[in-house]
Amino acid sequence: MFCRTQTTRAAIARGSALEMEIRRGKFRRSVFLDTLQDSDIQKKIDHEIRMRDGACKLLAACSQRDQALEAAKSLLTCNTRIMAYMSELQRMKEAQVMQRVARRSDGTRSSDAGPMDDRLPCKGKVAISDLRIPLMWKDTEYFKNKGELHRCAVFCLLQVGGEIHDTDMVMVDRTLTDICFDNTIVFSEASPGFELRVELYSCCSEEDYSAGSAPRKLASKLSSSLGRSAGKKLRVAMDPGACSPTSNAGAATLLLPGPAVAGPKYHLLAHTSLSLSHVQDSFRTHDLSISGNEECSYWVPLYGSVCCRLAAQPHCMTQQMMSGCLKVKLGGDPPSWTNVYGVLKGTNLFCYHRQEDMEANVEPAFTIAINKETRIRASEKDPHSKAQSICISNQYGGEEVTHTLSADSREETHRWMEAFWQQFCDMSQWKQCCDDLMKIELPSPRKPALVTSKQGSLYHEIVIDTSDDISTVTDILTRRMQELELRSQLGTSPPWMSLFEESPGGPRTPRLARHSPRSPHRLPHSPLSSLRCPWPGLLSSDASLTSDSDSPCSTSPCSRHRGWAEPLSLSSPRFRPRTLSLDAKLSTLRGRGYGGVLQCSCQPPSSSSLAPIPAQCVPQATLSCSSSTSSNSSSEGSHSPSSLDGTPFSRPSSARRSLRNLRAKLDPRNWLQSQV
Amino acid sequence: MSFIPGQPVTAVVQRIEIRKLRQGEHLILGFSIGGGIDQDPGQNPFSEDKSDKGIYVTRVTPEGPAEVAGLMMGDKVMQVNGWDMTMVTHDQARKRLTKKNEDVVRLLVASLLCNASPFVQTEFAI
Repeated sequence: MFCRTQTTRAAIARGSALEMEIRRGKFRRSVFLDTLQDSDIQKKIDHEIRMRDGACKLLAACSQRDQALEAAKSLLTCNTRIMAYMSELQRMKEAQVMQRVARRSDGTRSSDAGPMDDRLPCKGKVAISDLRIPLMWKDTEYFKNKGELHRCAVFCLLQVGGEIHDTDMVMVDRTLTDICFDNTIVFSEASPGFELRVELYSCCSEEDYSAGSAPRKLASKLSSSLGRSAGKKLRVAMDPGACSPTSNAGAATLLLPGPAVAGPKYHLLAHTSLSLSHVQDSFRTHDLSISGNEECSYWVPLYGSVCCRLAAQPHCMTQQMMSGCLKVKLGGDPPSWTNVYGVLKGTNLFCYHRQEDMEANVEPAFTIAINKETRIRASEKDPHSKAQSICISNQYGGEEVTHTLSADSREETHRWMEAFWQQFCDMSQWKQCCDDLMKIELPSPRKPALVTSKQGSLYHEIVIDTSDDISTVTDILTRRMQELELRSQLGTSPPWMSLFEESPGGPRTPRLARHSPRSPHRLPHSPLSSLRCPWPGLLSSDASLTSDSDSPCSTSPCSRHRGWAEPLSLSSPRFRPRTLSLDAKLSTLRGRGYGGVLQCSCQPPSSSSLAPIPAQCVPQATLSCSSSTSSNSSSEGSHSPSSLDGTPFSRPSSARRSLRNLRAKLDPRNWLQSQV
Repeated sequence: MSFIPGQPVTAVVQRIEIRKLRQGEHLILGFSIGGGIDQDPGQNPFSEDKSDKGIYVTRVTPEGPAEVAGLMMGDKVMQVNGWDMTMVTHDQARKRLTKKNEDVVRLLVASLLCNASPFVQTEFAI
């Protein structure tokens, strides 16, 4: 079935005996024995298969969209991991095959070139963090799209060699300007030639239109009644084959990508590859290759770049590469030597007096820099001592400083030289990562996902102090009454009042006497004396009714009375507080003399040039200035409280005031002024 | 500052040092500011150019530290302790002025002086 020299991949029928064999982990297609590495990978594959089965079950069982998306994400990750492990296994098998074939055919061929050539650079940790992908929404999304918010679930898959990690899932809709992934992903064993593949998967998150379930007619009806882009997506989803097939089914693998599960499917939206040249200690922007276009259901308008921080810590910078006892030559004639304990780590050779100092984290006696500029050579055999000594030369600001070290024995010297050469090799391979140690923050243990509250406006989050309910209500009522008073004083009565305003003249007094006992009871206001205009009107018209007939009308004036009075008392609480106060406020200002306001608006420039500015004038001027210009009285919420003196209103409760302040601050029509 | 069209105006840039006054737990300067890049510049009664989004002094508390230091209403605040105030939001401006660890603020302000001073006019009236 399998030809050894050719690499083939075949799909295996589900439920077949072969698949069962594979599942049981008895993948012994090849004639070679399982090596230790193989069994390692085998274990990983088994683990991933189990995870995948779990994800499939979860996907079938869950009802909520969020859970389904998460399960689909884990499914995709497991599949990718399985594929990666399988391909790695395959590669290892092939390598073994090639090796054995080579060895068998040509016995002398062996790969032991000089130690210099075969030196492998050390591995390192590569961390990618703060991934941010900017979006570019078109204005049509905002203005023409009346439908529901089109949301997509996105996540990133990051792969270095065999290590695959995924980020958390982020819901994207048109209120988001960037997709931010907060995770820090660390790959522990990466070679300097690593290739970090970043793939962005997305899946649209609207109510699922499982393809073909709804009849076409219904679909077209729905699409016409939904918002423009939502309908477009729906139509596209109904039309199978319009979008490119999922990446899951792309590469044929030895193991099928799991059972076909109904549920959300992620599609590859964009990808890019990062390597050592992109590693830097700060944020950088990289280009993304975008697959998919606007017509796809999983489309998210990407700007085309991804911003991230890619850092690398080669092991040579973080671990001790070599340590041992050394002798350092000090000047003098004959030269004297001092014993130190040397530790080669990063770009330095730390020399401690004793080994215990190093363990105790005491400062080293001195430090010799080992970096790209350093030159190390072994000097000739010293006739006095048996061992070679090592000369390390550095340039310290124009001056060349040479340290001469010597080890106890030849083997030690050789080992030190090896270590130095390895260090140079690492530094040449890891390039900019060896200049300075880049910080990698270990990802903190996963915090439980914050439960986001339902989308509401900012005002829902404002806590209004409800401790004194009754007082605020009576507050409102008294204020409302006073406002109404004032309004009728000024003659600007509510429109419905005009109904009762005919025939203000006429024989009022006798009628008044008859109806007077009734009227005061109806009305909630106490100071009736101030209200003259509308009330007589009511009474007189009332009287004209009753003069005709007694019995039926005995109820009617009452009802009319009540009918009139009730709306007054009932409707006042029903009025929205804002409009009443605004109207009343403006009317009071008008009543005070609008001329004065107009004057003030052009006076302040000249008044300030006059020497003393009267204290009262200034706050007043600014008060009227700000309210006479654009908008509403709430602007005075930002003034100092002293400027509110003299208004007819009782001071609003502190909760209302803070709410008003906030609204004033948020209203862009106000020209804010702040006291400092 | 009045602006009479046709009359020459001069702008004076001066440095004003205001010592903050402690009132309870607050440090106050004694004036109010208006404007900012997030505000509507057309409503600024003090600016000459109605597209100027700078920070202007809209009110000076009498006998307050600002008045004592010589700040006048209508002045445009250009810098506060070296920080630029010509391209800041209203809230940023307020914060720069009300830093709790600073006792003194040194402002760079621009005031307009109208050349036609009232004193000259009264002379002729006689």
